[in-house]
Amino acid sequence: MKLSDSRFKQGVAIVRKDFVIGLRRRAAFAAMMMFALTAVASLSLSTGGAFVEPRFLAALLWVVIFFAVSAGIAGTFDDEAQAGTLPTLKLYASAQAVLFGKMLGVLLSLIALATFILPTFLILFDVAVANVPLLLATILLGLIGLAAAGTLTAALTTSATVKGGLFPILLFPITLPIFLPAIALTETAFTGAAFAESSLIVTAAFDAILITASSILYDYL
Amino acid sequence: MNKIILLLTAALCAAIIFLVPPIKGLGDLAKIIFFHVPTAWVAVLAFFTSAFYAAKFLRTRDFAFDVLSERAARLGFGFVLLSTISGAIFSKLTWGAYWNWDPRQTTIFVLILIYGAYLTLRAAVPDEKIRAKVSAVYSLLSVLTVPFLVFILPRLYFSLHPSPVLNAAGRVDMDSIVLIVLLAALVDATLIFFRLLRR
Repeated sequence: MKLSDSRFKQGVAIVRKDFVIGLRRRAAFAAMMMFALTAVASLSLSTGGAFVEPRFLAALLWVVIFFAVSAGIAGTFDDEAQAGTLPTLKLYASAQAVLFGKMLGVLLSLIALATFILPTFLILFDVAVANVPLLLATILLGLIGLAAAGTLTAALTTSATVKGGLFPILLFPITLPIFLPAIALTETAFTGAAFAESSLIVTAAFDAILITASSILYDYL
Repeated sequence: MNKIILLLTAALCAAIIFLVPPIKGLGDLAKIIFFHVPTAWVAVLAFFTSAFYAAKFLRTRDFAFDVLSERAARLGFGFVLLSTISGAIFSKLTWGAYWNWDPRQTTIFVLILIYGAYLTLRAAVPDEKIRAKVSAVYSLLSVLTVPFLVFILPRLYFSLHPSPVLNAAGRVDMDSIVLIVLLAALVDATLIFFRLLRR
């Protein structure tokens, strides 16, 4: 990474750096995947093949995703903070490139999580999806919002002494505007009922708001 | 100032007990609404006040604003709890259940979660400067949910909650005495809040 590189190149370089380090230390990513798998398995086991209403299934799916995401991305900035490399990274790249690089990295790992956990969930609960494009669009929009809010929240909690429970506590209220429409849309995708396009637009708009706000507020940290 | 607030509060209590007619079919306990509406209003007011001082802190880095932002949030947390409890009692009287995730109940609960998260974050960061910065950023980030809670959530879920004083028809559906007492209670609660904030 050179000082003369554009912000976009700097951001991509940070994604690549985190990916290489992530390959060496897979713990956080593995924890996120295993957390999601354990949660889905325990839910499926305890309902024991009983009929679960689509609305409840949609809620379960998003609760699993939310807490798996919390477990996986809470430490996004921790490695840098512990090694003291964050100031150096900000010297080389602009603060915005650091934020968007991290955000993109988080989003990619969340997409990997969804690629793994969604089919597992559908198989274990024996869900027939009536509207696949809607389901995929909803998941993607939800993950974008979680990645945007989650990256900034991770930056907020780096210097906190209580780590474990703090991250989901902070993330939940801010992502609620994504969470509730996403559950409603996921239910519609399961049942195939007619859906209001405005819900998708609202979710996308809130994603955009979260990304913009994260970008503005990160400069003050 | 203290004397005015004390006098107003005492006058309000007397008015609510003796002057306001009992609400039909609900009994005297339903008068808790005169406590519920003002505390809910202050809970929301404190939320915006906290965010306002958070923004001022981030611009000026003056720690006096951080203190005000924190105090507004602590007061807001107290008021939101009072409002939630009084609201639940009123809900039990009118709808027959303490809680049913009505949109307004959801909104007030999210407010409790935000205040709780903000105060937990403050408690978890030992370094003063970092604490002021991160809590100000979180305060402003949480304000983003407000348009959603106010405009979009009520459309997603059906509500039983009474309409605001000024409803869509632009008409006031209240006895004039009830309206006057309620407005006075709102003023009183607002004065109490700013008195405690600026102590």
